[in-house]
Amino acid sequence: MGANLSRVYEGDDGRPPAGYPGLADIPENCIAGIFRHLSPLDICKLARLNRAFKGAASSDLVWAEKLPVCYQDMLSKLPLSKGQFLPKKEIYALLCKPISLDNGTKEVWLDKATGGVCLAISARAMAITGIDDHRYWRWIPCEESRFHEIAYLQQLWWFEVDGVVKFQLPAGEYSLSFRLRLGTSARRLGRRVQVFNQVHGWDLKPVQFCLSTSDGQHATRGYYLDQAGEDGPVGDARGKWTDYHVGNFVVENENKLTEVKFSMTQIDCTHSKGGLSLDSVSIVPSKLQKETENKHAGCYS
Amino acid sequence: MAEDPTAAMAKECKVRLKISDDTIFEVEYAVAMQSQMLKNALSDTGTDGTVPLHNISSEIMAKVVEYCAYHVNAANTISEKDVKIWDQEFLKDLDQATLFNLIMATQYMVIHNLQDLICQTVADRIKDKSAEEVREIFNIQNDLTPEEEEEIRHENQWAFEEEGWPEIQEEVRLEG
Repeated sequence: MGANLSRVYEGDDGRPPAGYPGLADIPENCIAGIFRHLSPLDICKLARLNRAFKGAASSDLVWAEKLPVCYQDMLSKLPLSKGQFLPKKEIYALLCKPISLDNGTKEVWLDKATGGVCLAISARAMAITGIDDHRYWRWIPCEESRFHEIAYLQQLWWFEVDGVVKFQLPAGEYSLSFRLRLGTSARRLGRRVQVFNQVHGWDLKPVQFCLSTSDGQHATRGYYLDQAGEDGPVGDARGKWTDYHVGNFVVENENKLTEVKFSMTQIDCTHSKGGLSLDSVSIVPSKLQKETENKHAGCYS
Repeated sequence: MAEDPTAAMAKECKVRLKISDDTIFEVEYAVAMQSQMLKNALSDTGTDGTVPLHNISSEIMAKVVEYCAYHVNAANTISEKDVKIWDQEFLKDLDQATLFNLIMATQYMVIHNLQDLICQTVADRIKDKSAEEVREIFNIQNDLTPEEEEEIRHENQWAFEEEGWPEIQEEVRLEG
């Protein structure tokens, strides 16, 4: 046992030369000690420096600490219980790719830079009022969606979308957002174009976004999805997929399932609304949350 | 696991450590117990003898003892904030060779808090640099074969792949 300490190199005067030992001289297990304090991406970047770095970069001790507490739960969702006996680094890499849950209607993955657990819930997993009525909603295939399809609203008065997700999340703070776009895309004469002719109603009243957890946390935000202009609605955000940040919640007990309910409603029936694409809801560690980019989405709590 | 010594024993009992140039360091028992390796060694042999630590120089041993003695004393009496300030002072004038010697010494002696402190400090110095910069600054020679390098590149590809769902840039024609 014990580190393999390099013998002190004897220089001309019996003392070690200046600069010895350096980073190049310390043994693999000491490099592993430094790697415990670096991010997964930094470790992968430095793995090719020399043999000791390569060895340390594969160390189970280093990667065991990068894996979230729920990693075995995540592995169990993979087909053929792949990965149970892989080295920890390979498990980490495996879990950075999205894992399908609930018949492909949800996904979970690790953020590769931080090891944070992220969830996405597709529109298919949500309860959408009027979804079965083709006068109101259509399912459209979409390459820009991780679920390969989106729900497109043509027009209706009672706009309500509800969803719920249950997962054993590691302790920490998380942000929840709805991914939406005004308008849709279509093919005209062989070219893809964006189509906004059905977008209406979103500049009149805000949409209410809510989330709540089974342990009593709540958040609510209101957003105008479109901006009122002098000659009618004008929105720079039209056509761009935007993450509408609903709020944050905290997971304290990582030993039980966290249940989060979320909803999006605009049920003022004095006006109709339409021309909206709904992709998914995402839940990510709050430090990964980008602030809602839609500058024109006036928002209030 | 050996029973914790009484406070009296901790104060009076000294542990003798013989280091690389044969000088003897005498440290208080409680300070020596900060090292898991010494804790294990002494629970077998008792405190009468001398523990040899041939690979550690007196300069490094002095630093280790300075840190451990402060932390034993600080444990219940000094605020976390002040301990952190002391730690930063402790690190301030350490040159690189000392830092790396300390990493090796704390790995060998199994002193987790000091090892974490030094490793974090070194990690902070390399984390924002590219691999080439780290190689150059620390003069790290590449002893890998081309095959090994290729294997590493392949193994770590996942870390550098672009991810996310692309916004398809396309000609936008507004309709309506």
